[in-house]
Amino acid sequence: MIKSDRKLGATARPIIPKRGEKDFEPAPGGGSGLQLHILDRSRDAMFEALRAKRTISSKTISYGIWYPSIDRVHVTTARGIHFSAMGYSISRTAQDNCQSPPSKLPKRLELLPEEALYFIERGALFCYKSFSGGASLVDSSKHESQSQGAPMSVQQSFAEMIGREDLTLERYQVYAYLKRLGFILMRAEPPTPEYPVAPPVSLPPAKPQTGTRRLSELFSCLVPKVMSVARLFHRINWWRRLQLHQQKTTQDIFKALRFIPCGHTIPLYRPAIKSEPTSESSSPYKVLFHAYKPSTPFRKTAPPAPDFYVVVVDARTTPIPSLQELTALFGILPEMPLPPPRKRGVSAPAKPPGDSQPANVRPTTPKTAPHERSPPGLTTSRQPSSWSSSLWTFFQRLLSFLPSFHSVPSQRATSTFTPRKPNPFLALKTGKKTIVIAAVDAGSISFFRFGQGVFEEWPMI
Amino acid sequence: MASNRLIPLRVSNKKAYVWDIDGETKGPHIATHSRPSDIATLRSSHRLCGVLTGTLPHLSQQNVFLGVPLLLMPEEVVLLVEKGLAILVDDQNAHHDPSAAEMEKWDSERLRGVEEQLALAEEHDAREALHPDRGMSEKAILKRKEREERKARGKANAHDPDQGVSTPVITESVPDPVESSRITPSHSSGATPARNLATSYTVHVPGASSTFEWYAPSIHSFTTLAAARDAGMWDYPETPAQRARCAVFRDLWEQGYFMGGGFKFGGEYLVYPGDPLRYHSHFVASVIESPAAPLRPMEIIAHGRLGTGTKKAHLLCEWSEEKKTVTYYSIEWAGFG
Repeated sequence: MIKSDRKLGATARPIIPKRGEKDFEPAPGGGSGLQLHILDRSRDAMFEALRAKRTISSKTISYGIWYPSIDRVHVTTARGIHFSAMGYSISRTAQDNCQSPPSKLPKRLELLPEEALYFIERGALFCYKSFSGGASLVDSSKHESQSQGAPMSVQQSFAEMIGREDLTLERYQVYAYLKRLGFILMRAEPPTPEYPVAPPVSLPPAKPQTGTRRLSELFSCLVPKVMSVARLFHRINWWRRLQLHQQKTTQDIFKALRFIPCGHTIPLYRPAIKSEPTSESSSPYKVLFHAYKPSTPFRKTAPPAPDFYVVVVDARTTPIPSLQELTALFGILPEMPLPPPRKRGVSAPAKPPGDSQPANVRPTTPKTAPHERSPPGLTTSRQPSSWSSSLWTFFQRLLSFLPSFHSVPSQRATSTFTPRKPNPFLALKTGKKTIVIAAVDAGSISFFRFGQGVFEEWPMI
Repeated sequence: MASNRLIPLRVSNKKAYVWDIDGETKGPHIATHSRPSDIATLRSSHRLCGVLTGTLPHLSQQNVFLGVPLLLMPEEVVLLVEKGLAILVDDQNAHHDPSAAEMEKWDSERLRGVEEQLALAEEHDAREALHPDRGMSEKAILKRKEREERKARGKANAHDPDQGVSTPVITESVPDPVESSRITPSHSSGATPARNLATSYTVHVPGASSTFEWYAPSIHSFTTLAAARDAGMWDYPETPAQRARCAVFRDLWEQGYFMGGGFKFGGEYLVYPGDPLRYHSHFVASVIESPAAPLRPMEIIAHGRLGTGTKKAHLLCEWSEEKKTVTYYSIEWAGFG
């Protein structure tokens, strides 16, 4: 018997091997003696680290039972901090799985396959597979003396839990990768009605301006065809647009001169409308996980709005997302606040007063002061949904950006002595909506961030 | 070293894993230690690296170095099976339900392990009780004494005023757990730590299934790709593109190269002259599935750009199904001013 293996407290931590500098190539003939020696040592260190076992104290381990019929793990003993953000409680009746006594457990803690697999892999959960024969369930307190089912190894869990409940290996890898970094992950689509999800996003309604909308539709029809300038001239009275006495600022003039509609509210031209519903439903680009930063105050019964929306695709089989797929993805996302600008000492718009921004642009009470500057009707029509639904920081930042950048006629006087504009490139790069796409190629994960830039709101003048 | 043993690739959901690590077999069978693990064999003898994808036990909050399972690229699997170096195991079906006798045996062995641990722990505790200060830092000893003193004083004030004189002397001179339990036998401060410690033992969550008697890989194994395909557990390569990838991978492997995934470098593979642990890769390889496949100039530019930027040359590997040969072209920036 291996003594050190069973002895209490002999939970040898693996040591992550140091990489060291690589050589360019092995010396001719398979490498010099020194190279071979170093290679052997690196390999040994690597294999040694892999030999680490999942040992855990009996006081901290959790126990669970895997029910393949419902694709869930019932946690019979839940220990540890991780359960504050994983698993959900549900009441199961007898027919869901034949072993559970119907009246005894009104609500129980269950794990999705990826959650259970992650727990098992960490060595924090000992999972039994429920006997398919329907053997009687032992009282959960007696697991010390008798097993509640067939004990499952990590290998068996990989074989059985992946492929269940829409879980692919790629998805699990992304899940585990982010979990290891400390993120909190929830499924975007509840697999069961009891599964808690973030409140649905209240999307801004379609823009009410009928004139521009009609023009947009017209334009989206025109684009694929040969663009006929003459037809455009037919519809638009150019001279009305250049009645300069109405235009107060250069931005107003530019805005008036814009005859090609732009922005993400313009409906996409779809070459084949018939194939549209099928392509959308079968598209691999779907939000799978909601991710929360590790510092989020998280309550799993009422998850807040997520910080990231994660899509997982198999890089081997999935092509780059089409414009339609991206548009569909962005269509269900809320507008995100701008990231805080980098700390350079000067340009920090969302900061309390005291930095170098003038007081008239960055007021102490941002809720009232910008309203005095910009007509409230204009701002609300621009952002109909953000007032009600978004966070305070977003609110604050938006207000601080709006007066100096959007074409507000009354802003003309103040904008002249705004010393420093916020850098538009950060906003353009980040975009208002962001989605994270994880592409997994045979085990290696690459994360891509797609942002929906709003170029029409940040003119380069 | 290069044993003739076929490496079992555990296949589930059309993905092939390697789970076997040294010493993962049951405790008593120490003989298995002499053979290198499958992962080691794959890497050292067969020049195949795979990707480690599992959470490393005890270091489960990092992604720098991951643990088993080792996930193999489908091309690696095809190569291994075609060369007769590995067999495919249908892992979902290989896990049978244990019989009652097997369960009983497993449980009794587990309980025996627990008992052994508890016995060891008790022995350890007994030793510790004789020399309680051993292995403790000075600060900890001081703290402990202070705590004991406070407790003793509180107790003395509450119950037994005449004992209050003697306790400070005791706590300064004599090992306390033994002493305090002697002074106040009803109070369990001395006895509970030992018992608490004894009731906790180490649980071992098994990694590979090879320790289970009811795991039967041998009757669910396939030695050829065709057999595995007929069983519906493996279907790579299916398309001409996949066949081309396998052919290119095999050709490069036969020339002695190590291959890794090249997705992050805009190609199919990274080609290493030696083990990627120690050597940089020289090429990014992308596969062109047939001589008739189109290649846009933009791709050449992009590959050249990315390859040069990462100090690699880009390899265009063109597979010809008729001639069964791979033609290689490499792209590098010429570097004329």
